[in-house]
Amino acid sequence: MVEPKKLTKSIIELITFYVGDALCGLDILKVQEINKLMEMTKVPQSPDYMIGILNLRGQIVTIIDLGQKLGLGNAEVSNESRNIIVNAPGEHIGLLVTRISDVIMADPDRIEPAPANMSGIQGGFFIGVYKTENKLIGILDVKEVLRIESENLNRGMER
Amino acid sequence: MSIEDDEILQGFIEESLEHLADIENDLLTIEEGGADIDVELVNKVFRAAHSIKGGAGFMGLSAIQDLAHAAENVLGLIRSSKLIPNPDIVNVLLLAADQLQHMIEDVGNSNNVDISSHTTALNTIYEGGEAPVAKPKPERASAANPAPITVTPKEEPELIEPEEGRADNSFEEVTDESEEELIEEQENHTDQFSATIQESAGSTKTLKPAVTLQKTDTSIRVTVSLLDQLMNLAGELVLSRNQLLQTITSGDVRSAEAVGQRIDLVTSELQEAIMLTRMQPIGNVFSKFPRVVRDLSKKLGKQMDLTIVGKDVELDKTIIESINDPLTHLVRNSVDHGIESPEERLKKGKDARGLIVLKAYHAAGQVVIEISDDGKGLDGNMLAEAAVKKGLITSDQAKVMSEKERINLILLPGFSTAKKVTDVSGRGVGMDVVKTNLDQLGGSIEIESEVGKGSTISIKLPLTLAIIPCQIVMTGGERYAIPQVNLEELLRIPAAKVKERVEKVGDAEVVRLRGNLLPLIRMAEVFDIDPTYYDLLQDETRGDRRLNIADRRSKSTPLFKEEGEPPPPSREDEFSKQRIANERRQSPASALNIVVVSTGAMKYGLIVDRLHDSEEIVIKPLGRHLQQCQGYAGATIMGDGRIALILDVSNIARMAGLTSLDGSERGKELAEAAKESITQTRDKQSLLTFSSSPKEQFGVPLNQVERVEKIHRDNIEDIGGRRVMQYRGGSLPLISIDEVASVMPLADRNDLLVIVFHLAGKDVGLLATGPIDAIEISADIDDVTLKQPGIMGSAILSGKTTMLVNIFELMKISNPQWFEDHAAYAEIDSSNEKIPTILVVEDSNFFRNQVKGYMTEAGFNVLEGEDGKVALRVLEEHLEEITMVVTDIEMPNMNGFELTANIKGDNRFKHLPVIALTTLAADEDVARGKAVGVDEYHIKLDKERLMECVHRYAKSAMA
Repeated sequence: MVEPKKLTKSIIELITFYVGDALCGLDILKVQEINKLMEMTKVPQSPDYMIGILNLRGQIVTIIDLGQKLGLGNAEVSNESRNIIVNAPGEHIGLLVTRISDVIMADPDRIEPAPANMSGIQGGFFIGVYKTENKLIGILDVKEVLRIESENLNRGMER
Repeated sequence: MSIEDDEILQGFIEESLEHLADIENDLLTIEEGGADIDVELVNKVFRAAHSIKGGAGFMGLSAIQDLAHAAENVLGLIRSSKLIPNPDIVNVLLLAADQLQHMIEDVGNSNNVDISSHTTALNTIYEGGEAPVAKPKPERASAANPAPITVTPKEEPELIEPEEGRADNSFEEVTDESEEELIEEQENHTDQFSATIQESAGSTKTLKPAVTLQKTDTSIRVTVSLLDQLMNLAGELVLSRNQLLQTITSGDVRSAEAVGQRIDLVTSELQEAIMLTRMQPIGNVFSKFPRVVRDLSKKLGKQMDLTIVGKDVELDKTIIESINDPLTHLVRNSVDHGIESPEERLKKGKDARGLIVLKAYHAAGQVVIEISDDGKGLDGNMLAEAAVKKGLITSDQAKVMSEKERINLILLPGFSTAKKVTDVSGRGVGMDVVKTNLDQLGGSIEIESEVGKGSTISIKLPLTLAIIPCQIVMTGGERYAIPQVNLEELLRIPAAKVKERVEKVGDAEVVRLRGNLLPLIRMAEVFDIDPTYYDLLQDETRGDRRLNIADRRSKSTPLFKEEGEPPPPSREDEFSKQRIANERRQSPASALNIVVVSTGAMKYGLIVDRLHDSEEIVIKPLGRHLQQCQGYAGATIMGDGRIALILDVSNIARMAGLTSLDGSERGKELAEAAKESITQTRDKQSLLTFSSSPKEQFGVPLNQVERVEKIHRDNIEDIGGRRVMQYRGGSLPLISIDEVASVMPLADRNDLLVIVFHLAGKDVGLLATGPIDAIEISADIDDVTLKQPGIMGSAILSGKTTMLVNIFELMKISNPQWFEDHAAYAEIDSSNEKIPTILVVEDSNFFRNQVKGYMTEAGFNVLEGEDGKVALRVLEEHLEEITMVVTDIEMPNMNGFELTANIKGDNRFKHLPVIALTTLAADEDVARGKAVGVDEYHIKLDKERLMECVHRYAKSAMA
């Protein structure tokens, strides 16, 4: 999968992973770490896509079920599940994915705009699509994934 | 601009700001001194202006330099006594100082600020040796007041940007531009419409937060010695870590313990030291108030002095920063609403000058800030009336409120007393905002006031926000932390009592707690957690499948459905519910665990699955995605590495639709129900029952008990012929009932209880065994059959004969020397020719004999009366002898209130002190008693306080 020829500056590294059956990618520079800590604390009243919070070496990290967020339904926590910890403004946020795949070198020129719908995920969540010989990788837009939906804002006060 | 070095510039800014902070107060002192010039002080201000001028010149900040120079000139004249400082001159100087401060906070743009108005004013003084004609006011406004309304930020940014070499200015932030515009804009306005601006002079506040924020973000001053200490501790920590790593590899358990201890020690010391670096004197906030008070009182035409006490009290930096606004609000309130105008004051016979005292001090691990004034004070009745009118409370509620509660109504949201909105304090922000701000800081506010004499507002603040003690609870298998400041008490209602104590008022569940009704909130319900309960026997949390049996019972005992869950002793039994119907009620699993919490005026019980320990926790913020969850104040990491959420008690109440004073039907019902329950329980005595041997049960009045501790037999030390145990850093003497009374010896068990009493100024522990329970009994006590030393009588409690322990007697027999020199136990000097006589009025034989016993023991003469009528007869007959009356409240024929009213209304008797005895000193009773003239309230059987009070009155009557 690694492309040996070009190692120029413009190459970006993508970590790839599965959300359900969909293969997604993320710029490696946006990722702080990948771990398999699953000792999460549930937070009642939190948005559906939130699984809980986690103690990451003294920091409270919010864990988001990426499957739920992308509209693919709940992810099942298994032996292969991992949290991808990404840097968000002022905090770290964990994305729970079904399983981790490879790190690939991608030529930015070959990244194409995302279709309106890709493997059942709305195109808005992607920056673009990267094609390898046999696979299609949707490159996630972290900002969009972490955006807080306004419809949830008043949930806490319903009662 | 030639700003080469950010560090030098930063240094200049910090130093100048420090100088300016001092200048303000020094100028005020100079103003006060008038012609009597304090040369030292003037010199100090002169030097400060001079160094600002010098520094600014060096940095190429010409505008700052010019302004400082002009100010320096005027100060020079004052210094050489060529100019007498009057308020006008000082005003001009103060304005210049304000302007300097603004420019220095925003150094990058300082050269573009128009300072001509200031320099002209200063130069006029300098040249003419006199102040210009009444110009200062508008200028002052301009300098301090950014009045956002008038700003139209169109051209300025473009004008400024190009000519600025601002790329290398590290501290330039977004606010710079807007601030710059504001100042510019106002400068222009000053010249043109000085009058309009003057009107908005009150709202100085709006800009301030932004400025301080920017300022404080930069750096903090820490003494080098403290830094050295930190370095030292960090070194220690590294050493300990190395030791720990070694120990782990070698696997040596014993040294691991030592290393653990060492790390424990070093970390706590390190924590303390780091905390110290964050501590700042509250004087930083206080120092601006002399100016605020001066300006404001001048504007309002009032005269007042401000006294500041406790400038050195230190608080965490974050608290210092956030306390600024609430304090300013309160001080402004005092100046505006509190202190009357001089004419009014003179009319009332007060000094024309009002006095405001700002005081900070430490108390009980907290910092207390008091703002008191000798103004007109708050009228509780008026406040209550207004609150009723605004629909915040019902008139019935208002009736039962105490004066203090009424005054504190002012803290309710939506309450504003000012009849007229003034630009000084009536700016649409009420006291409730102050309260909310303080709540966020974990502080509390309390108001005391007397009409015509003034009011005192006390604010209690934690020393630091970083670490707070919390109660840990568990619901739905997760742990939650409740800050100790919100915690009132913990309550466990045994399964058998749930039905009796929990009921529905309206559609809310309430629990009877010492005669009051406490609303209950089920945590699982509010947070939509699947209901669970904790099974003590199996030590696990189970899902509550209450729905199966809910409907059957829900009508008659609504609460029972929630808790009436079988204890599942075995799989089979779960299916045969009928069979275990009896066990279900008794199962420990269906007991209710209630955390009684309070936030300001609101108090409620939160039902949780399990109560854990209390722990000191470190608050961590929650992520962005959780900001919308109202119920949490943050999160913390527990010892096992998992996270617990910190509950926000006031928001939970809101989420559950609970507002204590919402004037709803329910509020009324609650008030009525509470009243009713008080009358019912009034003549009851709460007892703590316990055992000492398997066959005997004892009881002791609950209000005498300080604490109950569970201990292990090994904790008891037999030293010097006495039994003691270590307790809160000291030795607690222990006794058991069988040492004094002839009862069966203490059971030979390992798990013991120690009931701690506070007697004669000391703590003592009574050894006992479980089970313990708290019950209420009516005064049906047999004080003959089982009476003996240490036992005052007996009663039948739930089918068991229970001996009532006389703890005073018990202690006195076992440790007579303790009571010798204690006031409450002093005996009357019998050589006195006249021995005081006390009339004891009480319908219950038992209590009357007890109280009489206390008094005869101390050497008093005692007369008795069974009710108010009898008492009055006795009074008529023995008028000469009686020195005071001690009376019960609830009595047949004539109750204590009526008796007191009769005594106080009769010229022959009204000099007699009346001490009332109740089982429960309910606020309402106390208020009513005070109204008819009761001198003091005491709880029945609280011998210590009662006797201390009797002695006091006896002494004053004799004198």
